[in-house]
Amino acid sequence: MSLEEPTGERTETHLTGVTEAGLDYDAIADLLGDRVVGRETHLNAEAFVVRPDEVQEALFALRDEAGFDHCSCVTAQEYEDRFESIYHLKRYDDPTQEVSVVVPTPRDAPASQTAEPVYRTADWHEREAYDLVGVEYEGHPDLRRILLPETWQGHPLGLDYDQDRPQIVTLESHANPLAEDQADDTGEADTMFLNIGPHHPATHGVLHVETVLDGEQVADVRSDIGYLHRCEEQMAQSGKYRHEIMPYPDRWDYVSAGLLNEWAYARTAEDLAGLEVPEYAQVIRTMGAEFSRIAAHMLAVATFALDVYGEFTATFMYGFRDREVVMDILEDLTGQRLMFNYFRLGGVAWDLPEPRAEFFEKIRDFLDELPGKLDEYHDLITSNEIFQLRCVDTGVIDAETAKDYGCTGPVARASGVDYDLRRDDPYGYYDELDWDVAVEPDGDNYARVLTRLREVEQSARIIEQCVDLLEDWPEEEREIQSNVPRTLRPDEDAEIYRAVEGAKGELGIYIRSDGTDKPARFKIRSPCFSNLQALPEMAEGEYIADLIASLASIDIVLGEVDR
Amino acid sequence: MRAGGPPLQQGTTTANATGGATTTANATGAANATNGSAAGVGPTAPETISGWLGLGANPDPGVQFLIGIVVASLIATVFLGLAAFAGIWGKRKITAAFTDRIAVNRVGPFGLLIIVADAVRLLSKELIVPEDVDRPAYDIAPMLVPFSALLGFAVIPMGSGLQLADPETGFVFVFAAASIASLGLLTAGYASNNKYSFLGGLRAVAQNLAYEIPLVVTAASVVLFAGTLRMSEIVAAQAEPLVTVAGFAIPAWFAFVNPFAFVLFMTANLAEVGRNPFDVPEAPGELVAGYMTEYSSVYFVLLYLGEFLHIFLGGAIVATLFLGGPAGPGPAALGLVWFMLKVLAVYLFTQWMRSAIPRVRIDQLIEIGWKGMLVLSFANLVLTAVIVGLIV
Repeated sequence: MSLEEPTGERTETHLTGVTEAGLDYDAIADLLGDRVVGRETHLNAEAFVVRPDEVQEALFALRDEAGFDHCSCVTAQEYEDRFESIYHLKRYDDPTQEVSVVVPTPRDAPASQTAEPVYRTADWHEREAYDLVGVEYEGHPDLRRILLPETWQGHPLGLDYDQDRPQIVTLESHANPLAEDQADDTGEADTMFLNIGPHHPATHGVLHVETVLDGEQVADVRSDIGYLHRCEEQMAQSGKYRHEIMPYPDRWDYVSAGLLNEWAYARTAEDLAGLEVPEYAQVIRTMGAEFSRIAAHMLAVATFALDVYGEFTATFMYGFRDREVVMDILEDLTGQRLMFNYFRLGGVAWDLPEPRAEFFEKIRDFLDELPGKLDEYHDLITSNEIFQLRCVDTGVIDAETAKDYGCTGPVARASGVDYDLRRDDPYGYYDELDWDVAVEPDGDNYARVLTRLREVEQSARIIEQCVDLLEDWPEEEREIQSNVPRTLRPDEDAEIYRAVEGAKGELGIYIRSDGTDKPARFKIRSPCFSNLQALPEMAEGEYIADLIASLASIDIVLGEVDR
Repeated sequence: MRAGGPPLQQGTTTANATGGATTTANATGAANATNGSAAGVGPTAPETISGWLGLGANPDPGVQFLIGIVVASLIATVFLGLAAFAGIWGKRKITAAFTDRIAVNRVGPFGLLIIVADAVRLLSKELIVPEDVDRPAYDIAPMLVPFSALLGFAVIPMGSGLQLADPETGFVFVFAAASIASLGLLTAGYASNNKYSFLGGLRAVAQNLAYEIPLVVTAASVVLFAGTLRMSEIVAAQAEPLVTVAGFAIPAWFAFVNPFAFVLFMTANLAEVGRNPFDVPEAPGELVAGYMTEYSSVYFVLLYLGEFLHIFLGGAIVATLFLGGPAGPGPAALGLVWFMLKVLAVYLFTQWMRSAIPRVRIDQLIEIGWKGMLVLSFANLVLTAVIVGLIV
């Protein structure tokens, strides 16, 4: 893999606390000065405790003077004596340089300053924190519930929430998105309000996009999510580390990115509990994860074609046909097609299927055919003039805006943000292999499709090297699992935030341990969630057809957005 | 029917008091049935039938009407059957072939009985009429669309003597009839009380306006060549061999005479029938199903049928104007077969486009129509006029 430093213009301004050797947390503490009222050590980074009314000042300082331009995640949680919001900050140039900002708020009045003016992405993250935990953010532009219905009582991840009391939200009690629209039916309005979804062929699940149209052009667009909220965080919090949580990640991004999601949990929990993973298992993980990525990108390209071509397009079936080969290989490897549950803490569930030669043969056949198939896609899609007419220069989002919204994955890379955790924050076996990060500068719908197709190529390169390694691996050294205690009880109050490069971008997990065998707080940072938030930037002012194309090019999976 | 022998001859000689030259031309054509050309100006089907019945070519108007109804039902049945065949079964098989699938193969031989099963299924579904639809308009629209397409078939010479009427202005009639569909689409979109339908209806009108003109203007270049608006004569004008290559005569089909016009016409026709890259009025994925969104059960069937009939009508017009109508090798009695094959070929082309080509955006569609197609079609018309004036 390319281990050379990402070539960001790091030298142009001096960034406080950022040195060649890594982060100088004391310098950052000096930068924040009086605003810091305490300091914690999380497993991934130092955390500075900041007064709730000085959040923006602290974050502005960190963003502008220390270069923390990536607000990866906002975690809120409730303790016996306080509420707490944690801003997990990173740098796009080097995501291993992290810092957390902890904002405690009193239990009786949990309100702190919003981070939205500093990081646009905090908008949705804080809404979610308010919705599920109950922290309020002063100055937030739109502090409404985001995942649960507006009429929901209580905050489900709060300590005093009654889990056993059922709440039934009837259709009538929902806010009617049309009511406002019908009210100003004076004939003077020259815009039209249009509900795209929750049941619409282009929303790829149950997403509701409230759109205001000016003729055929999109004047305003707002995503309404939460239709597929399945309490994944709460479910993970009630499972034991060792075996009971791993099946859930498969269900977040359920379109074949399962192994990538499992890796997010595996990496976080292993780092939390200090578990080693045998090298052999890392190679298998790397190979399996890249197969998942290929399958997920094939589906993304296929469904994008569906939205741009119409429902009878051949490209869609081509995508599914080629993805099917990958699914077969993954089935051979894991025994499952959808919910793999193949990773284990400290390794994988079982070794490669026997006979190994046959399995490798199957993979090699796939790899041999892939370049021809990709040529076919380029023939059918990217080199088609009408396709270019439709996709080039539509749905544009520039690099700075993408960073502001916390976009990651192919969406960010298509905007020229050279950010890939596999290279920048290496895990697994990626840093031993030779591959490139696909980056496109344009940030339009076309670039996002092209980036995915190029990433498939790179994934194939990684798989090829993994297969070579696995083939020659000495039989006696094939250790698939390290020694893991029967019951994991990480240290009390250990906190960690770790992310992997999922199919859609940075898939992160925050875990706080309370010394028991279950996590006290399990927070999922979904790449789709952040990417979807940037939809208005891409779609406003464009035609409705481009809104649909942009939505498809973000490649959201609602299971991961809503969790 | 056409090579029917004595009755036909009798019918021909007494028919067509309007043009003697035509009559003779046809008589020779009919006598030389093995000539290979089914083209030629012959009697219309009602005339032939009344000839068989011994009523002469010009019987009592009531009888004429009655026979006309019979023939019209026959033609409508043929095309409705074709729509059922190609729309329910053929479409699936064609799309499946393009996308590496197998498609229906369980019900009956090659899955053909799916046509029956689907017809029963579609017709037995509940007809859901949404609240606050504009009631008479909502009901009329689904009838208007297939009606306009079927009306167009009235003047198409389909070979084997199957032509309902052959007015002097057949060419104008067929385009006029086909355009009524836009009214149906607008009505459907407007009456459905649904914003997606509304957008679809508006798009349909904008699109038909933008492409109808290039379509007709391009077709007019054929009229310049043929020198007539009568459909049967346009077909007859294409019967002559254009060139003979190695003893094989290439007929003077206008697709060969003026390939440029043919390509233009095929493109405009795609927009006219609303197929990729011009399927924006329906645009599933954007507008759910466009003007069709709120229609269910039999109303949906009618709209769906109307769509296919329009594709067939488009194919029939293409076949008549550019592909020599029912002309083809073999006896003239096979004319209908050749004609249908040409119609199905155009249909196959639309399905091919659907599988392979992305749809353009509405603004691009309008731009292509007004700034591209219109200019090209007028250039083609002027060029044709100059060539016809200089050479012919």
